[in-house]
Amino acid sequence: MKSVAAPTVFIIDDDHGMRQAIHDLVESVGLRAESFATGEEFLATKHAHRPSCLVLDVRLSRMSGLDFQRRLAESGMQIPIIFVTAHGDIPMSVKALKSGAVEFLTKPFRDQDLLDAIQQALERDGITLKEQAEVHDLQERYRALTAREREVMTLVVSGMLNKQTASEIGVSEATVKIHRGNVMHKMQAASVVDLVRMADKLKSSPRK
Amino acid sequence: MAKEDVQKTLVELSRELQESKARLEEAQRVAHVGHWEWDLATDVIVWSDETYRIFGLSPQERPMDLATVRSMVHPDDREPLYRGVDQDLVAGERPSGEFRIVRPSGEVRTVSSLTSERWSSLPGDTKRDASGRPYRLFGTIQDITDRKRTEEAFQEISRKLQESNARLEEAQRIANVGHYSWNLIENRVTWSDELYRIYGLDPRQGAIDLAKVGEMIHPEDRELVFAAAEKALQSGTPADIEHRLVRPNGEIRTIHSVGTVKRDASGRAYEMFGTAQDITDRKRSEEALKQNQFYLSEGQRLAHMGSWAFNDAGHYWSDELFKIYGLDPQNGAPTVEQYLALIHPQDRASMAETIKRMQEEHRGFDQIERIIRPDGQVRYIRAVAVPVMEQGLFKGFIGTTMDVTEQELLTQELRREQAYLAEAQSLTHIGSWATNFYTKQMFHLSDETFRLHGFDPRNGPIPLERFFETIHPEDRAGVTATLEQAIHTRTDYDIREFRVCYPDGTLRFLRTIGHHNPSSEMGYYVGITMDITERKRAEQEREKLRQLEANLGHINRVNMMGELAAALAHEIRQPIAASITSANACLRWLARDPPDLERARAAAARIELDGNRAADVINRLRSFYMKGVPPEREMVDIKEIVREMTALLRKEAVRHSTKIYSELGEDMPNVLADRVQLQQVFMNLMLNAIEAMKGTGGKLTISSRSTPQGHVTVSIGDTGVGLSVENTERIFDAFHTTKPQGTGMGLAITRSIVDAHGGRVWATVNQEAGATFHFTLPAKTEVET
Repeated sequence: MKSVAAPTVFIIDDDHGMRQAIHDLVESVGLRAESFATGEEFLATKHAHRPSCLVLDVRLSRMSGLDFQRRLAESGMQIPIIFVTAHGDIPMSVKALKSGAVEFLTKPFRDQDLLDAIQQALERDGITLKEQAEVHDLQERYRALTAREREVMTLVVSGMLNKQTASEIGVSEATVKIHRGNVMHKMQAASVVDLVRMADKLKSSPRK
Repeated sequence: MAKEDVQKTLVELSRELQESKARLEEAQRVAHVGHWEWDLATDVIVWSDETYRIFGLSPQERPMDLATVRSMVHPDDREPLYRGVDQDLVAGERPSGEFRIVRPSGEVRTVSSLTSERWSSLPGDTKRDASGRPYRLFGTIQDITDRKRTEEAFQEISRKLQESNARLEEAQRIANVGHYSWNLIENRVTWSDELYRIYGLDPRQGAIDLAKVGEMIHPEDRELVFAAAEKALQSGTPADIEHRLVRPNGEIRTIHSVGTVKRDASGRAYEMFGTAQDITDRKRSEEALKQNQFYLSEGQRLAHMGSWAFNDAGHYWSDELFKIYGLDPQNGAPTVEQYLALIHPQDRASMAETIKRMQEEHRGFDQIERIIRPDGQVRYIRAVAVPVMEQGLFKGFIGTTMDVTEQELLTQELRREQAYLAEAQSLTHIGSWATNFYTKQMFHLSDETFRLHGFDPRNGPIPLERFFETIHPEDRAGVTATLEQAIHTRTDYDIREFRVCYPDGTLRFLRTIGHHNPSSEMGYYVGITMDITERKRAEQEREKLRQLEANLGHINRVNMMGELAAALAHEIRQPIAASITSANACLRWLARDPPDLERARAAAARIELDGNRAADVINRLRSFYMKGVPPEREMVDIKEIVREMTALLRKEAVRHSTKIYSELGEDMPNVLADRVQLQQVFMNLMLNAIEAMKGTGGKLTISSRSTPQGHVTVSIGDTGVGLSVENTERIFDAFHTTKPQGTGMGLAITRSIVDAHGGRVWATVNQEAGATFHFTLPAKTEVET
């Protein structure tokens, strides 16, 4: 498990003045800011694993903000987005929010509104990151199991008794007990119930 | 001589005398001749028995007395007879004569009396006295009545024969018949006078030369005539031919000649007798008759008309009638049953009924029916029958039958056409009519005309007044006035629109056009009336649509401006939003403890930057319009542009009751300009002018002149709402507008364009009303540098 770095606000706006102004505002409340003129520029940069959010101008010159949002989702990068636009309309904002935007602000906006949205986004990202880290940890543990142990774990979480499991995979009940002990230990599960919860998390998370 | 001898001789003589007397008596009786002896001295008359018989008396011994004789002579002959006798006697002649006697029975006989001289020479009996005068007369009397009658009869016959000959001659002359006899033995020909005349010859010119006659026969017929004559001579059959002859004067006549050959007991032909008739005239009449019959039948054929007669004598059909029915004349006229079979099944029953009435009630008819010819062709027949009455008695029928197929089909076609026309009128709601408005007579009114005025044509005629009554009360006076005017000036009229009200309250718009032929009666018009309600509605719809389009055009223009404004707004909003955000940041840096002045200063610097950036956008606006479109300069004729724009905006001007006037200076120099941009300038200024006069209408004046400084000045003036003096500069600023839907861009763009062309634009307030916008453009010579 890695240490969580300082939260960062990414700003993408093709208008230089606007980009600088938001960047400055974010820094004025003690947050770390990184700004980019285009979406490509942002995507090309390697980002450290830390809570972050994105302040995005909907009308970027080369790629629209909504297209960019789609590109991010496709690349599996989960980052909360705050849209800002100089001329937003309702259909556009609905679309943006449906696609998972945290907030949709129209320029010129109240500074507090933006800062509140940033705060909210960072918190949400923090939780997401924590969950991601947990799943990642479980996956690491699962990877440490042998093939036979994984088999036994599957049957155990499905609610089979040792005897049933033994006849299913064609080994003795004693052997099943040994495998089961190994599984509980490697997965650091406190009980069978704990193991079932872990199996659920593994199942629902993206296989990575 | 011995006594016995004498006695014997006497006896002998007496016997002879007796015998002689008896023979005389017998002779007189047979010859109806009597004799008499008249003693002049004694006036005693002795008659023979036959004389008595001639006089119708019985023979007697006693002498006849002169008075009796005299009384028996026919009274008419009495005086001449006795006077003649006295004269003869005085003259010493022997009286004789013929005279009539009247027998006691009353019968009249003619007698001939002769006084014989033989008696005076009888020996021993001188019958004259000493003075030599006869004292005795002896005579005979003969009954010549029968001879006389025979003679008369003969004379009568002879006279009649002569007459008859004369008549024959006359008849032959009249009938143009001549005759000839040809003595074959002596080869001599005798001609009747008429025959001479037939040949155009003089009867007195003498004997006929056979060779010459032969030459007179028409050359084409000569062979025929000679052959016929030869044949008659050879075979004995009479020659009977027609031939032509050529008279000496060249005239051609046609002759009918008949000749018979006479033969003697041995069979030898000795004479040919014949007649020749000039049949030229008959031939001509025959020809004429034939021609007439031909004309008649040809006429029937051409008229497709046949004739027929039906009476006691039978049933007659003309040739053409057979042809009409497609029948063979050889088979004769058909019976009623056969005739009915020819009739089209659909018409048969009615025809049978007609024939029945014709036969039973002797009623004529005139009807059209269909027949089917034997070849299957259907024809229309018009049959007319008329009963023939003679002195009140029915004698039969005569009639004509005409093939009227073509007429009938035409009639049907006409009816169809009329139906189509009516249908067309009904579909197009156009009615036709012909009427005299002056006499109020209506000659023609199509069904649709009735309907257009809300009447049902099936309800019969309607007086002219009632048509007028249907006109909407507000339009009636106008229509009537127009009509009266047209009637009195004898001119056409066209009432383009008036309303009629139907009984159910429906209102329709009509148009009526009347044509008056000046040569016709006063007030007589032929015309049409049409329903223009739909058209009127459509026109209104169209007008609405046009209005909408115009509005849309305006909206588009506004929209376009709006879009432009939106684009500009974004441009401006960006730096403003940035400066606000920077200001916020600045405040936050200052609010820190301790305040971060460095960062605050940086933020303030950005605010200034963004503020200037916003100002730049506004400044850039003037050239914004030209952005991306590099101007294309060319030589432009201002007048041409004015013309184009005037044409383009005419509709818009009319819609706002605005008139466009142009006062363009002569010899205007061309300017080097972007034609489209220049059009834009005119468009903006002219539209503004028109819009300024919206609702009030007015005058738009475009004037141009060239200035001494080498500029072209154009002024566009209106008579509209005008401007306030302080506004004359601000109106050119972007987003400044005095109009509710205006964008405030029009004049700003105008100024940008004019500026870009090195010109100037300004506005002035008119003294009377409205405003005038002016702009100058450098003439070409200056711009070229």
